[in-house]
Amino acid sequence: MAEKTISQQFGPVLELIEARPVFDESGLTAARYNLSLGPGECVFIECRDETQRSQFTDLCVGLLPIGDGKVKCLGLDWQQLEERRAWALRGRIGRFFSTNSLIDLYGTHINILWPRMHHTRTPTKQLVAEAVRLGIRFGLPGLPTQVPSRLSVLDRRRAEYVRAFLGGPDLLLLEDPVALDPKELYEAFLSELTAAREKGCAVLWLASDRSVWRDYWQDGMQIFRLGDDGLIDMRGV
Amino acid sequence: MKTPSRFTIIHRFVAFLGHIVRSYLRFLLLMIGASWGVFNEGMLPSTWRRPVRYEFWRSLRQVAGGGLLSVIVVAIITGFGIVAQAVFWLGFAGMNQMIGSVLSTVLVSEIAPVLVGVILLGRAGMLMLAEMSDLTMRGQMRTLSGLGIDPFLGFVVPRTLAMMLGGFTLGTFFSLIALAMGYVVCWVKGIVTVSIWSFMFQVVNSVHPLDYFGIPLKFLSSGFVVGLCCCLSGMDITTDDNMATLIPRGFSRGILSILIINVVVDIVLGSI
Repeated sequence: MAEKTISQQFGPVLELIEARPVFDESGLTAARYNLSLGPGECVFIECRDETQRSQFTDLCVGLLPIGDGKVKCLGLDWQQLEERRAWALRGRIGRFFSTNSLIDLYGTHINILWPRMHHTRTPTKQLVAEAVRLGIRFGLPGLPTQVPSRLSVLDRRRAEYVRAFLGGPDLLLLEDPVALDPKELYEAFLSELTAAREKGCAVLWLASDRSVWRDYWQDGMQIFRLGDDGLIDMRGV
Repeated sequence: MKTPSRFTIIHRFVAFLGHIVRSYLRFLLLMIGASWGVFNEGMLPSTWRRPVRYEFWRSLRQVAGGGLLSVIVVAIITGFGIVAQAVFWLGFAGMNQMIGSVLSTVLVSEIAPVLVGVILLGRAGMLMLAEMSDLTMRGQMRTLSGLGIDPFLGFVVPRTLAMMLGGFTLGTFFSLIALAMGYVVCWVKGIVTVSIWSFMFQVVNSVHPLDYFGIPLKFLSSGFVVGLCCCLSGMDITTDDNMATLIPRGFSRGILSILIINVVVDIVLGSI
């Protein structure tokens, strides 16, 4: 008897079933998308178009309207969810955006803590301690308090890692999150990613270049290519 | 003229008329819907999470603290001008007993809410508009949505309510300072001889009972519409918009909202 996958044993964290986004002449093609991602699993998607990457992750979090099919997260269908519950469910997802997502209205520390402070009642001290630990892990001196625009590009990326990994999300959606340089940051990122997966976090890693995940890829991991034809399975190619 | 071409002309005219009506009424309908949304969400305890409270206090500090000096200056000028002139001319006409009534009706009830609304709009509203439009144009509102943070909850609710509370605070300061300044000017010139407490008592005594509800309501609603109008104008933008088109549009919408809400409150409370 064939061995059951993690998704089959525990139910998928993210599931796209024949999901067809509404065609609006830009970004994601109105093809049918199928994907199943179980707890602790990591899926790689190669996509050179930044808009497509961003719209695909929006599709996964129920922000992009779909014409047919279903998109489910933790077993809950985005289309069936009441608005407040949908916002709360998005709070269980850690995201790394390809565009600058830290806003200059607040200091970087508020930007990092904001989603967790919004969605949970975890004491602020506890969140700060965890953020400082993650910050140091990624090479920050602690929790930066300056506005994001005063930080270097690399420090902003570090801050975004801290925000994405903070609070132990159930799903990580990463849009072109890492480059091979600097080596220490690359290794710290992979190490935290592995630690998160061991705790059951599912990972969807979209990148423009497959060289960034070559060292991390293992047999059995799903690889897709996202393009004008939709999501194409690349295992065995 | 053939029937189909007549039909085309009528069709185009009706379409044009519909376009005009829709484009002008759209923002009004948006304001009405969002007003209900702000009240509805503001009542729910779950709305007041840590970042929402943080944004509320930050905005309140910006609105009340930042606008206080402007309000004091404008109130002093108003006291010099309107109050002193009103007292002088009423005394000249031998209608000293009308001073309280005229000041409470004209200054506190009509002029103060409009002036405070304009100060709020210029001092804090335009800043809000610029911040919100910047976030929308850079796609950061969408980013926040992706993190599960509803921009309406994160920005519109706390900022509008902070502006509402700031409007009431600044309006009260404005009224007191303008009246006190008017009294001081008249007292120096020897136009009034009563004490400041008698002067204030005269004003308070002539306030209609309904105005004890109406005046605070005007201050609150002026702040509310300015806050909501600026937040929505900043979020409701197209790809063709930039600061050069947004700021004048937001300012004219804000002024119009202040005037309309004051007239509406007057009509509802039967002052007109």
